[in-house]
Formats: sequence, structure tokens, C-alpha cells
Amino acid sequence: MTRMVTESTPSPVTVAPPVPARLYVAGALRLAVAAGIALIFFLPVLWMLSISFKPPAEWLEYPPTLWPKEPLAGNYTFLFNPGNPEGAIAVMTGAAEPVVPAFANSLVVAPLATLLSVTIGFLAAYAVSRFHVGGTFMPFFTLTTRMFPPVAFAVPLLLYYSAVIPRLIPGLRLYDTRLGLILMYVAFTVAFALWMTKGFIDAVPRHIEEAAILDGASRWRVLFTVTVPLVRGGLAATTLFIFILTWTEFLFALIFTQRFAITVPVQVSHYAGAIGRFYGPQAALGILASIPVVVTGYLIQRHLVTGFTFGLVRE
Amino acid sequence: MTDAPPIIRLRHLRKEFDGTIAVADLTLDVAEGEFICFLGPSGCGKTTTLRMIAGLERPTAGEIWLRERRIDPLPPQQRGVGFVFQNYALFWHMSAYDNLAFGLRVRGVSPAEVDARVREVAESLELTPVLRQRASRLDLSAMQRVALGRTLVVQPQVLLLDEPLNNFRPGLREVMRGELKRMQLSLGRTMVYVTHDQEEAMTMGDRVLVMHEGRVEQVATPREIYRRPATLFVAGFIGRPAMNFIETQYQVEDGRAFLRHDALRWEIETRREAVERQAPSGRVIVGIRPEDIRPAVLAVPEGRRGETLPVQVDLVQPLARRKIVDVKVLDLVLKMVVPGTFRVDAGQTLDVVMDRGALHLFDPQTLRAIG
Repeated sequence: MTRMVTESTPSPVTVAPPVPARLYVAGALRLAVAAGIALIFFLPVLWMLSISFKPPAEWLEYPPTLWPKEPLAGNYTFLFNPGNPEGAIAVMTGAAEPVVPAFANSLVVAPLATLLSVTIGFLAAYAVSRFHVGGTFMPFFTLTTRMFPPVAFAVPLLLYYSAVIPRLIPGLRLYDTRLGLILMYVAFTVAFALWMTKGFIDAVPRHIEEAAILDGASRWRVLFTVTVPLVRGGLAATTLFIFILTWTEFLFALIFTQRFAITVPVQVSHYAGAIGRFYGPQAALGILASIPVVVTGYLIQRHLVTGFTFGLVRE
Repeated sequence: MTDAPPIIRLRHLRKEFDGTIAVADLTLDVAEGEFICFLGPSGCGKTTTLRMIAGLERPTAGEIWLRERRIDPLPPQQRGVGFVFQNYALFWHMSAYDNLAFGLRVRGVSPAEVDARVREVAESLELTPVLRQRASRLDLSAMQRVALGRTLVVQPQVLLLDEPLNNFRPGLREVMRGELKRMQLSLGRTMVYVTHDQEEAMTMGDRVLVMHEGRVEQVATPREIYRRPATLFVAGFIGRPAMNFIETQYQVEDGRAFLRHDALRWEIETRREAVERQAPSGRVIVGIRPEDIRPAVLAVPEGRRGETLPVQVDLVQPLARRKIVDVKVLDLVLKMVVPGTFRVDAGQTLDVVMDRGALHLFDPQTLRAIG
């Protein structure tokens, strides 16, 4: 090598120049506006949190207050032990079963359905994006299936689950089982997974994959060592989206379960009794039910933020 | 060019996509160590040809030979060719090191040897200091070298480059161009370089192959391409501003041969025989480069001086060191180039002469050069 452009070694440290005062003011203003908007979105959550610690007497107070006058953990303990409420929550009789089975169901159904849906959707999207499988109309067609109101499918599917499947495949139970819900959720979310991931795959220049193919890498190797890492931001976003969808799904969970496969959203609807709705335990369950979503979001947020650093040169 | 047997031989290469012909019938020899540029407008088939050599496209017909081996039936990784993509197509999520190592790892080379060969290539391309950096964080020059290094590490006999400088801003392009050319000289590697940028092709290539609508228009040195364009397309495509074309009729007056357009005429006694043989219809397109039409007051060598011609100056576009002047004569608008210091204004008349030795003649039927 004779001569080469030699600015290739980056300077190790860049010292930030002093920030002018007006930028501080602008920054503070921006922060204030952001905080205000965040508060608006966060208000329902705060309200729910507040109610989850309030005794029945304070649930329907008007105007509502943020701080419980007599805070208690009874709403939470009631979720796990609804048998004989005592003290301030003694009025909450004649209701629900313990929350643990519903939580267990949701914790199995939603992640598995999400994983399956994103995997299938991603592979399908790859086939559509790279090999034009199904022609030009196919991707749109998959989406049109989601334009039917789900309730239009619900009853035929219910009959299919309870009357047809048991005859066709004796021993396979889909009604009121986790498997039944998982299959249903995959079928109903895979079109979203396909569409979301397809956009990200389309954004990966084909040439990058061809470069690997030229070296003799198999399609699968290209997929997992080149494409997947480049779209992982998109996969993370899709996963979170589908997880929220399945974790909180209510209609099918209500219709296709009865006792054994009840999920958290259905469980939330079960809190009512002699005194009407049990807002406290509902709020408490709402708080608990939010935790897995928040945790999931937190775990993958690193991937959500990274992702497309290859916008440096346009394709 | 050497007398050694060619390293690449393309024989009657053809590629069709769903009935449209991308490459019609391409035969070419590339010499060892040569830098050959495929030049043409987009869609002319140059990239398709390159991809066929690499094995990314399968030819509809024809053969590709690398030295003594016919490679067109082989999968890409067995062909011994390296490919540098537009925008480099690096594995942006990997380090420079992993980019360089990828091809070796896929081929199952032992880790110790992978390391040795990556370090060797990195050293020769001055990439050692940035090996641990992510590809997406490298500066453009380093990206270019990683893209080259990634292909060099598997020791290809030929490097294929597909518009590697396409999306860089002007200015940077020229820097990168120089850097690439230097690399080619120091590596001594045979390179096939695809571009639609004539300046790039003309400055970098030992030879240039001009393609148009799937066909080879001309293969020659840049100088030859400019001075003796083989077809009307090449004549119009190469050179800025583009060559002027004038439709003329062949005539013999008083025993002397002329090409005539209305009241204009050019004596072509020396090329008479070629015109009569190759353009029997008598219709000839005369091409003349803007730089070969000059103000009469500026010298043209006496023997080659055509007739002085008064023209009307229509438009003057000053550039840094020269001016592009549109002039009208009869029903023609011709472009000419004058030095930046030459004073000329729109509306004035100007006496010009055309360099008779610089006339290019084309047959309007075959679109090929005459003589």
C-alpha cells in the first residue's frame, strides 16, 4: 500500500464544548412539556394504583383522590385468597376464584403464542420479501383477514373447537385449554407479525445477504447470522406488540375458556358480588397484570432503540 | 495489455429475464492484472454481466471461463472471484474483524488460520487499528477497505466491483476513486468495475467496455473510446457536453466528395472510399465534438482547417475554465467550447471553423462509425 487516506483512526475522546445558557433553558422547557405529556398518559395508571390500595368505602368517592385515606393491602391479598375476606374488605363476598391459575395460564399462553406468531410471521415475511412467495397480492391478503371483526369468527370457531376437532382428532382438546388459546392467538396475530417484520426485512439491502451467499453461506446461515441481527430492533418491536395483544386479549379468552384455561383479562371481569363491582381487586389485578408487559418492554428496550444504524449510506 | 492468455473469457453470454433481454451476446477477454470498466446507462446489462461472472445470476446461454476452468456451472464460492457491492453491503452489525473473517469461517477454515489471514489482509489495507470497531461505525474510507478486504481475504483471482462509489457525494467520490485505483495498482489484481459514470470509467479503466441495451457498443482504451467512437451511441454518450450530430447527404461536386447539409458542406475526399462502401444510401450522420468547433480567431492547424463559418451566438454558459456556447447556423443548434478567457456574448455573430480531422461519420442505418 503506498498512500492511503489516514483519517481512519478516530480521535479517542471528544470533549464536549461548553453549552450556552439558552440551550439549558430550551432543554428545561422541553423536559417540562415532556413531563406534562407523560403525566396525562400516566394518570389512569396512577389512579388504578391508588384504588388498588383503597378500601371499598373509598372506591367510588367523588371527587376522586389520589391518596387513599386508609391504605390497605387487602385488595392484593384478596386476589390470592378470596375465600373469607376480613376487616375493611369483609363486604367482598360471593366472588371469584384465586388468581394464580389465571396468571399461570396467561404466563404460558401469551409468551408461547407471541414466540410462535413472531417466528412464523418473520419466516413468512422473509419468504415474501426475498422470494416473492405468493405474488404481489399475498401480503395484502393476509392483512385483509384481519379486517373481519373477530366476533364474526367467534361462534363458528367455537363450534369447530367443541364439535369438529374432538371428532376428527379424538384426544385433542382445544376448548378451554391453553393449547386452544395459543393456536387461536397465533392465527389471529401472525398477519400483524408478518407485516411488521416485512417492513424491517425490506429495509435490509439484498446485497448484504448476497455478500454472504457469495462466500458460500447457506440461506439459513445468512438468515441467522446476517439478517436476524440486522432486524433485531424490528423483531423486538414486533414481539412487544404481539405480546401486548395476546396478554390482554379478552373476547376469545372469554368465549373459548370456561374454567381451566381462564386468562388474566377474563379473571379481571370476575370481580363482582353483593356490593357490585369489586374495583379494588380489579385495580390490584390490573397493576399485577401490567408488570409482565413492563418487564418485557424493559428487557427488549435496548433492541428497540438500536436497530437501524446502517442508514449511513442509502440503498 | 500483455500477451499472456486472458484470465477471464466470456463467450456469447446471454441473459433473459421473463422474456426481456438483459444481455444479448457478450464475448470478451480480460487480461491478467487489467482494470476493465463496464460503462453504460442504467439497465444496459452491465451489472447483470458482472453478477453472472460472480454467480449471482445464471446465464441463459453462453460460457464463462476463469483461466482454464469453466466457472458458469459452479456455485459462487467455488469460482475464485470476489465481489464488492454498491454501498459495500458490509455486515453492519459485526466488527471489521468479523466482516473480514466471515468468508473464511463459512468455508470452514481453522480459527488459527482465519486469524492469521485476517490480520495479514488488515495489515496490507491499514485496517489493523480499527479491527474491533463495528462496521457501521467506520469512516467511509475504512468501509471501502473492509469491503475490499472481505473479498481479498479468500484470495480471489479476480475482483468484481459493482458501482462501489455510487452513492457518495461528489468530491468524496474523487478521493475514493483515487484510493481504489492506488489499491488496484499495488495489489496488481484483475478488476472488473461497473459504473454508469463516464468520468470514473475513463479515468480508472485500462480499457472500457461500453454497453447499451444489452449489447456491447465498443471495447477499447479510454483514449480510443473518446477519439474513435465505434457507434453513434458511444459518440453521444462519451464526452461532456455531448457531441453534435448533423444529418448530411453524400455528394460529388466537380470530382470532389462532400457531405452536405443545406448550405453547409464538408469535404471528405480522404474518406470518400469508406463512405461510398459503408453508406451506399448516401446518408451520413456527421458528429463533431464541441471542443472541435473553434472560433476562427483561435488557431486550428492550417491543413485541417475547414471552411470558416459565420454562426449566431445563442447562449453562453460560463464554467470555471471554459464556456459552453450554443450557436445557431441554418436550422442547427451546435454546442461549442471556448476558453474561459474568450469574450463572446449572446446575439453576436462569430466566425468558427471545424477541425476537419475531428469529424466522426456514422451510418444512420447501422448506427456504426464509417471508416
